[in-house]
Amino acid sequence: MRILVILRRVLDPAGLVAHARLRRLFINREEYLIEPGDHAALEAALRIKDGGGAEVVVVSGQPEPDDDTLRRGLAMGADRAIYLSGAGFADADDGVAAEVLKATVERLGGADLVLVGMTRLDTGQAQLGPRLAGALGWPQIVGAWSVEIADGRIRAVRRDGDDYVIVETDLPAVVTVPAKALEPRYPDGARLINVYRGEGGMAEAVLQWDVADLMDPEGLVPLLEGRGRDFPPERERGVRVEGSIEEAAQAVAEALRGRRPG
Amino acid sequence: MDFTFSREAKALRRMVRAFVEKEVAPIAAEIDREHRVPLGVMRKLGKTGLLGVCFPQEYGGMGAGEVGYCILMEELGRVCTSTATNVGAHIGIGAMAIHVDGTEEQKLRYLAPLARGEQFAAFGLTESNAGSDAANISTRAVRDGDEWVVNGGKVYITNGGYADVVTLIAVTDPALGARGGVTAFIVESDWPGFEVAREEDKMGIRGTSTAELVFDDLRVPHENVLGKVGEGFVTFMKALDMGRLTLGAACLGGAQAALDWSVAWARTREQFGTQLAQKQSIQWMIADLATEVEALRSLVYRVAWMVDTGQPFTELAAMCKLYGSEVASRAVDMAVQIHGGLGYSRDYPIERAFRDARIAEIFEGTNEIQRIVIASRIFREHGVRISP
Repeated sequence: MRILVILRRVLDPAGLVAHARLRRLFINREEYLIEPGDHAALEAALRIKDGGGAEVVVVSGQPEPDDDTLRRGLAMGADRAIYLSGAGFADADDGVAAEVLKATVERLGGADLVLVGMTRLDTGQAQLGPRLAGALGWPQIVGAWSVEIADGRIRAVRRDGDDYVIVETDLPAVVTVPAKALEPRYPDGARLINVYRGEGGMAEAVLQWDVADLMDPEGLVPLLEGRGRDFPPERERGVRVEGSIEEAAQAVAEALRGRRPG
Repeated sequence: MDFTFSREAKALRRMVRAFVEKEVAPIAAEIDREHRVPLGVMRKLGKTGLLGVCFPQEYGGMGAGEVGYCILMEELGRVCTSTATNVGAHIGIGAMAIHVDGTEEQKLRYLAPLARGEQFAAFGLTESNAGSDAANISTRAVRDGDEWVVNGGKVYITNGGYADVVTLIAVTDPALGARGGVTAFIVESDWPGFEVAREEDKMGIRGTSTAELVFDDLRVPHENVLGKVGEGFVTFMKALDMGRLTLGAACLGGAQAALDWSVAWARTREQFGTQLAQKQSIQWMIADLATEVEALRSLVYRVAWMVDTGQPFTELAAMCKLYGSEVASRAVDMAVQIHGGLGYSRDYPIERAFRDARIAEIFEGTNEIQRIVIASRIFREHGVRISP
């Protein structure tokens, strides 16, 4: 059983200040997180590994090869890490990324399961998993709160409104995991140190693949084009409601009634 | 010169901070109020490997060195002095004594489970008549065949109430005293003759166990002699050097937290129509403290680097402890003043930090003893021997 987990990095929102009046985003502290959904997806993969054994491979394509994202994955317990280098992939849209990842799965000699976060924290996009499933021609489960392997099939729990629904599909498959689905484990202390020192087999665990070796980059045409950033209009200030509790409640109720669409 | 933290150190700090924010910060007030040792947190720290942060990987540690250990203590000290104290007594002195002078067998048998947090350690030095005058101990160990029989007791032993393994020193040759007549032993708390007599009710660090231990014909196998017979005092002083440095690191975290709270409050609180941050009286307090915190940070991590690179550091460790504890005390005092009534209220963490900070000027050698250590090193270079 081989599980591929895609790890993307996102700017830590705690280090950002959005200034609505100046319509600017200030980066006070440039720190990166593993995209929380990907982090939970890695936890799901490691639980499958703990339960019945699996090889967990993490893959990332961030701007710098020395990025912490893959190291964090290895420190948590991933067996191998693949760094995808080469122009374009790091800022690629999900359509391009899906093509590159399909080629990665093929170069790897196949995988039984690909896990990835459902929705990106920064852009809010949720297309990578479904597009990758489409490219590979595999079944997909979107938004799995837990993932189990039983009898060569995958069984996941999804949320449907207030209900939980169990869904199953055959392997290989692509499964996307919401950010809050699983609490990621802490890294293993000794592994963390070894990852950074390249000791204990950790140097050999990291592979670097150039996208150009996997496929013809000319064929990668993005579907999206970034044309700039803008801010939503500033919110109007609220109204202060005076008077007794009854009067205030009445005023709030009327205001809400007035806003109700239709 | 390069004063930047390595990527490894940054990654370790990120890991520790995530742990501390999630596991320690939410219980810090509660363990203080309930006078409870957070054993669950200690076990979790062990599971992540952090209780072996500075010990070699072959003995269950992480191998992150003294810089790594200082990072752990700084981050713990920022949020919970009690937890920092439990961890410091466990790693920094209890297990450290085995790390500095233990045999291969002792390290495999005792250090490894301590590094993994499967067992907890304490350090038995202080006695009722041997506080600052540590050489004046009277706990006695007498050889009986392949065993030593220990009688006596220890007081103010951090982790004493729950430790599985205690490193202690006892007099083995009263004629020789501290120079050749004191031996260190590793004992297990479930051996017959080991008793926890009572727990102290303390002003601060109330989430710790500070116990009085009594040894009544406690039989210790000879293989549990730590270091050489007669040289226990040397072993213990070596462990204390490490403990003092990392206590300074915990104080750095405490002082930084007090500074952070004060800056945040000075931004939000308004009096006489402007923020506190606009008042020069407050600005000067903040500026002075920020300067001291930076000086302490430089000292702590420079000495940690000296340890990791094998340089002598005894008096510098004493300076870390002395300066760190005084900066931390000034920091919490200032934080109370800036917060006014809020700082005095039990509803805010500043009141707890104020009570917790005081102990650092006392334990692991009072600040008076640190001054003696520093002064005696200085005068020794000038041919003057000073006696305490």
